[in-house]
Amino acid sequence: MAKKRARKKAGASTHTASAATSGTASSAKSSGAAARHVATAAPAPAFFFGYEVAWAKLLVVRVVVFGMLALDSLLQISHAPRYGAGGFNVAHLPGLDALGPGRVAFGAGQLVCSYLLVLAACGVATRVALPIATALYAWLYFGSQLDSYQHHYLVALVLLLACFVPWQRPPEARPSTPVRTWAVRLILIQLGILYLWAAISKMSPAWLDGRTLSKQLTGGLGELVVSTVGWKSAAGLTMLTELVLAFAIWIRPAWRIALPLGIGLHVLIMYSGLEIGLFAWLMLGFYLLVVPDRAYVWIAERVRIPRPHVGSSTVAWSAAIACLALGLVLARVVRLPHALILAALLAVVPLATVARRRVPAAIIAAGLAHVVAIALWLVVDRTTSQVVDYYRYWGGDSRRRGEAAMAESAYRTLTELEPEAPSGHLGLGRVLLERGDEAAGLAELHRAQQLAPTKATAFLVEAQHLARAGRKAEALEKARAAVAAEPANRRARGVFTALGGDAATLPAAAAPSAADDDDTEER
Amino acid sequence: MSASRTVQSIPFLGPLLATWRGRFIAVFLLAQLLIPLHYYAGRKDPHDERFAWRMFSPMRLARCAPMITIDDKPLQIETEFHFAWIKITQRGRFGVLEAMGARLCAKHPGSEVRVSVRCTYVDREDRTYGGYNMCNVPEL
Repeated sequence: MAKKRARKKAGASTHTASAATSGTASSAKSSGAAARHVATAAPAPAFFFGYEVAWAKLLVVRVVVFGMLALDSLLQISHAPRYGAGGFNVAHLPGLDALGPGRVAFGAGQLVCSYLLVLAACGVATRVALPIATALYAWLYFGSQLDSYQHHYLVALVLLLACFVPWQRPPEARPSTPVRTWAVRLILIQLGILYLWAAISKMSPAWLDGRTLSKQLTGGLGELVVSTVGWKSAAGLTMLTELVLAFAIWIRPAWRIALPLGIGLHVLIMYSGLEIGLFAWLMLGFYLLVVPDRAYVWIAERVRIPRPHVGSSTVAWSAAIACLALGLVLARVVRLPHALILAALLAVVPLATVARRRVPAAIIAAGLAHVVAIALWLVVDRTTSQVVDYYRYWGGDSRRRGEAAMAESAYRTLTELEPEAPSGHLGLGRVLLERGDEAAGLAELHRAQQLAPTKATAFLVEAQHLARAGRKAEALEKARAAVAAEPANRRARGVFTALGGDAATLPAAAAPSAADDDDTEER
Repeated sequence: MSASRTVQSIPFLGPLLATWRGRFIAVFLLAQLLIPLHYYAGRKDPHDERFAWRMFSPMRLARCAPMITIDDKPLQIETEFHFAWIKITQRGRFGVLEAMGARLCAKHPGSEVRVSVRCTYVDREDRTYGGYNMCNVPEL
């Protein structure tokens, strides 16, 4: 029995700072002394269970990393239409094909994930929000090979480990208060494992002679490599850097090497032109864990944020309810699918977790986190092409697979939400023409031509329709208009000559480009 | 029993495995060290680099052209599957091609569904995989 108790005690590794270090110390110096005290009392092995992080550092990492992950979740929503399309799915794990998310579930899942991650970033309901977000994220990722980004696999792993980090502020914590957390040590080791395998994968002649790198790096960074170290050296240095980081990132004394190396590597990757989403940013976010704790403490002790007096819990609840209402008002104007209903349902999470605590500051924080989460939805909706792309991709895929009614519905929604987006009118025009509604279809194509006068596609679709209808002369004129709109478009030139047009009469094009379907997902 | 005592007496590992958190750490680390090994030791599809942390590897540059025929008639794959799946097959992932074959076999009972994929690489000779009736042999 005594042995069992001793084991239990030894396992208590996710404690926040112990009483000895809970902020009663009046200076950083005394906190440091307290930290040493805790370190000596750490259960074995101290390598994991005695690992400590300054509260200020944990706070910054929480806000930045979960904030970025919340944003990344929202930026996946435009890909929702590919999920479950045509009832086909291949999961990452065998036997899960039927359990993968569909279009609606994926879109809603990412919205929920984003919301919960904002709560976690704000330190609200982390013990509830993080495990739910982790489970949801894992389902969305492992449920389908449509997402094969390795960094999303990394995120799934890091989120799992993050569930064991005590993200909540310890009572009376000061910036320097040490928080004991084995999970942060494990996150750093996980990053080290990633670098180790990445380096091993590069130990092949095709990488080491620079061939692979030269084919992947383009633009300014490629030119920089050629004019400085050359491809072979750059490839060798990349592998070497990853090998060093594999060990330096989780060994505290080696952080002075890991920090500049790692940040340099990921900043270069950011400028490589590779389509890797937020991967480089996320990795930079993880490097906040490698910045020495004393840097955070030094800054935090100089930038003091006053903690406002909140008043009674009645005042706090009034403010929280006002925040709830504001969140719903914001959600009402968010155009991401199912935003309003999800916002209403999700509001329960932060409020339910603070309902019993009756701490005014926590109640207000819950309300504010709700507003921040919904505001992020709105910002992403209005500043990115997520909504347009969602309906554009949905319509395009449905049209190609012969699901005309679904395609029409998607394009109609797009034209309602974004009347000035040419892609909606173009897609709708195509669907209507394929259905035989010529007048309406041509009207939509003409609208697309007005909105995008320098794009050939809408002119081409009309030219091809006219040619099929036997109206050769009109078709040729439309094909000419397509070339005039976009002289470099190779397909427009091809259609013009195929219809009997004289290529010599066309304007010259310096660098002909192939035209892609406007509604095809390229990632 | 004696094996358990032997493990407990090992410095670092013994105390680590004494708690559920320690056992979780051990299993997690072991999995993360071994799962990528599967790519090198046991995976039949060289294009499938999932879970192996092979970022920017030479295999990432493989370009593949999938080809599906049903009773010797070429199938326009985009009329059947989402473009995102086609992009994955253009990286040569066998699992997705096999699932496509299985689906088409189920949809066209009694037909011959042939799936092949020709890949070009930066570090090896071009190669064509498959080409046989997936309804009889469901693996590439």
